[in-house]
Amino acid sequence: MDIITGFADVLTPKILMWIAIGVTIGYLVGALPGLGKATGVAVSIPLTFYLHPVAALGMLIGIAKGSAAGSAVSAILINTPGEPASAPTALDGYPLARQGKAQKALKMGLYASVIGDFLSTLVLIFLAAPLASYALLIGPVELCAILLFSLTFIGGLSGRSLIKGLIAAAFGVFFATVGIEPETFVPRLTFGLLELDDGIKLVPMAIGMLAVAEMIAQAGNLKALDAEFEQIKDGTAHEDRVILRSEWRRCIPVILRGTFIGSVVGILPGLGASVGSFLSYAATRKASKTPEKFGTGMIEGIAAAESADNAVVPSSLVPLFALGIPGSVIAAILIAAFILHGLTPGPLMFKQQPRLVADVYAAMLCASLIMLIIGSVGQRLFAMVIRVPLRLIIPGVLLLCSIGAYLETSTVFSIWVMLFFTGLGLLSRKLDFSFVTFLIGFVIGPNLELSFRQSIQILNHDPANLIHHPIAMAFGFLTLGTIWWVGRGHSPVVAAPTSATRNSREEEA
Amino acid sequence: MIKRRTLLGVATALSFSAFSGPVLADDYPTGPITMLVGYGAGGQTDLIARATANVISKQLGQPINVINKPGVGGAVAARELTHANPDGYTILFNSNALINLAPFVMKNADFKPDEFDYAGMITAFQLALAAPKDAPFNNLAEYVEWAKKNPGSSYAALAPEARLYINEIMKKTGIQVNIVPVQSGSEMINALLGGQVMLAYSGGIHYRYPDQLKSIAATTTFRHPSAPTVPTIEEQGFQLGMDTRTTLILPKGTPKAVIDKLSAALKACQTDADFKKVADAADIPIQYLDAAEATKEMTASTAKNKAIMKAAGIVSK
Repeated sequence: MDIITGFADVLTPKILMWIAIGVTIGYLVGALPGLGKATGVAVSIPLTFYLHPVAALGMLIGIAKGSAAGSAVSAILINTPGEPASAPTALDGYPLARQGKAQKALKMGLYASVIGDFLSTLVLIFLAAPLASYALLIGPVELCAILLFSLTFIGGLSGRSLIKGLIAAAFGVFFATVGIEPETFVPRLTFGLLELDDGIKLVPMAIGMLAVAEMIAQAGNLKALDAEFEQIKDGTAHEDRVILRSEWRRCIPVILRGTFIGSVVGILPGLGASVGSFLSYAATRKASKTPEKFGTGMIEGIAAAESADNAVVPSSLVPLFALGIPGSVIAAILIAAFILHGLTPGPLMFKQQPRLVADVYAAMLCASLIMLIIGSVGQRLFAMVIRVPLRLIIPGVLLLCSIGAYLETSTVFSIWVMLFFTGLGLLSRKLDFSFVTFLIGFVIGPNLELSFRQSIQILNHDPANLIHHPIAMAFGFLTLGTIWWVGRGHSPVVAAPTSATRNSREEEA
Repeated sequence: MIKRRTLLGVATALSFSAFSGPVLADDYPTGPITMLVGYGAGGQTDLIARATANVISKQLGQPINVINKPGVGGAVAARELTHANPDGYTILFNSNALINLAPFVMKNADFKPDEFDYAGMITAFQLALAAPKDAPFNNLAEYVEWAKKNPGSSYAALAPEARLYINEIMKKTGIQVNIVPVQSGSEMINALLGGQVMLAYSGGIHYRYPDQLKSIAATTTFRHPSAPTVPTIEEQGFQLGMDTRTTLILPKGTPKAVIDKLSAALKACQTDADFKKVADAADIPIQYLDAAEATKEMTASTAKNKAIMKAAGIVSK
């Protein structure tokens, strides 16, 4: 494989143009709440039928990468993550924007995205083969242990009270049990509604819980909102618009850690970008000297979440390229596109199509850099949103939310789901339950249940067989260690306001 | 010919004017057609659906909007189809498992073959029991022998019918196998490649891994184009062959002229280069059945599957 030849092939105006189109589509799709990278790529596959394979694959990968970066924009500007994986970005990004530091926050989001994405692409290029053999070691038993550990660790995001955090997480797991049970195929808690057989969909749920609830909470406090808007417009001071050298110094280790976490999460099958960004956020807060300040506008929070979110995309292609196994939803969709364009993912492709592989790698690296350019231009445009009074933005965002929820299944039922969780989200804000741990419970719950049921079968119903799964044992002990550590009073949780609204209200008080 | 069309037109106008105004089957289609797909965007059947939509659109000269309405293997989309006007402007592309299989395992999907019209079928699923290439067995008899010597082995099951196969084999032969639930084709492939299970029910996706995986038995009534030497499950002594095919499903009462036009347009998929590319990339054999054959196949396969399910004691939940 010769990456130089790859660059020679890719660095033509035509192919670069298609990559740029892909990144732009992805960036827009990512910035709009509800439209995710999976939808963007899937709908674009037929459009690439008539393109040169390198242009086509570059464009599709560009969409996937661009949307992971674009989702930070809406998270920061209107507290509405474009994709669930950017929810932790909003925790600190939105407070920064309200302090007039939107430009700074957006820049950090973009740079962390690009760095995470670029480094993770390098991981894919140079380590795909050696890492892939480890991915196969991770079966359901190991995955179950890893998920258990992740859930315990991320439990640290649970707000002021550990008990309330656990309750919220349990509710998340509870709502995840709705739908057809995976082993006996009996519908659970569906009340005979056909639409619930496949379970509650993440996108309408997350939109309701995060975006709509936030908009309504803000609309319920319009006076304070207007006053706030009068005070803090788009900051004009230079230091509010750029990232200072001291901030870079604090954020570089955070970004590197986020990239590492995101890459590992991407390689492991079945975890997904949301787990990556939440884990990275939690780890950064834990490592920080001032964990109590997270949630009030710590730039490290953005760096942590976005670098991990974007690092997941390229590294989730590691098992696909090295073994032909799709490790994530986006990889499963891309596999179809790759085969259509004559590149069958798997170990053989390096022997049979070395040139095309090199081209794809070069295209991926170019996409990272193009993302930097398009992101810089795009966020300048998007940032104008901040100059519009929030009371004018709310109706538009609500419309976008409804469209996003509807598009997930093309049924009005999704909008009802969104509204139901809006109510729940409002209650959780009023009663100070963390909707973040709720979301994590909801995302990890079904995977945990499935891998637990699988493990029981694979272990032949005998816990003693765990002895053959050392990786699972190690994570089991790590989990016990975390519980013991938390139980000793080292709660990883320090005061963490769950919404910027409350936060600003407290400051007023 | 003209007379027949006129008659049909009159008949159609008479039977449907009450609901939807007169349908001019002769001019069909005069506007865009909506094609529902009962799965999320990006899956294998979705890709086939989009390729089919391209061909039909080229043939009929009207755009086709593909709308994904995922849910319960297409049941959500099918229910929407039953509310649509039978004028050929709303059609559903789905696996017919929704009608010939799902009703016997899920209470929520109580569709019957005569509740819809069919414009034809275009691809067949190469359903099979698959195993790692280096597994020490090549057919069901050898697998049973192996499983007897290795109790506590695992089998990956993706759907209710997947459990039926292994349960019937266990019942008949007395072997004990753990059934590991999986929720997607890629998860099933993962489990086979990672050595977590020694056998799995596959929708045909395992043919993409010819160097690592092999078929033990085709669970269809026909041998697979991708593995013509592997006998079907019925040839191996278990009367459990069940076929599913991608089908162009229409609301009941669609005028015959419309059905015929759609059926003819669907036929063009057989020779379309782009369609062939999509199907070949996924190892999906193209097996076109026209409207009449599809209706017949639908009724026959439903009856056969019902008998199999009943014999196995499966009740819908």
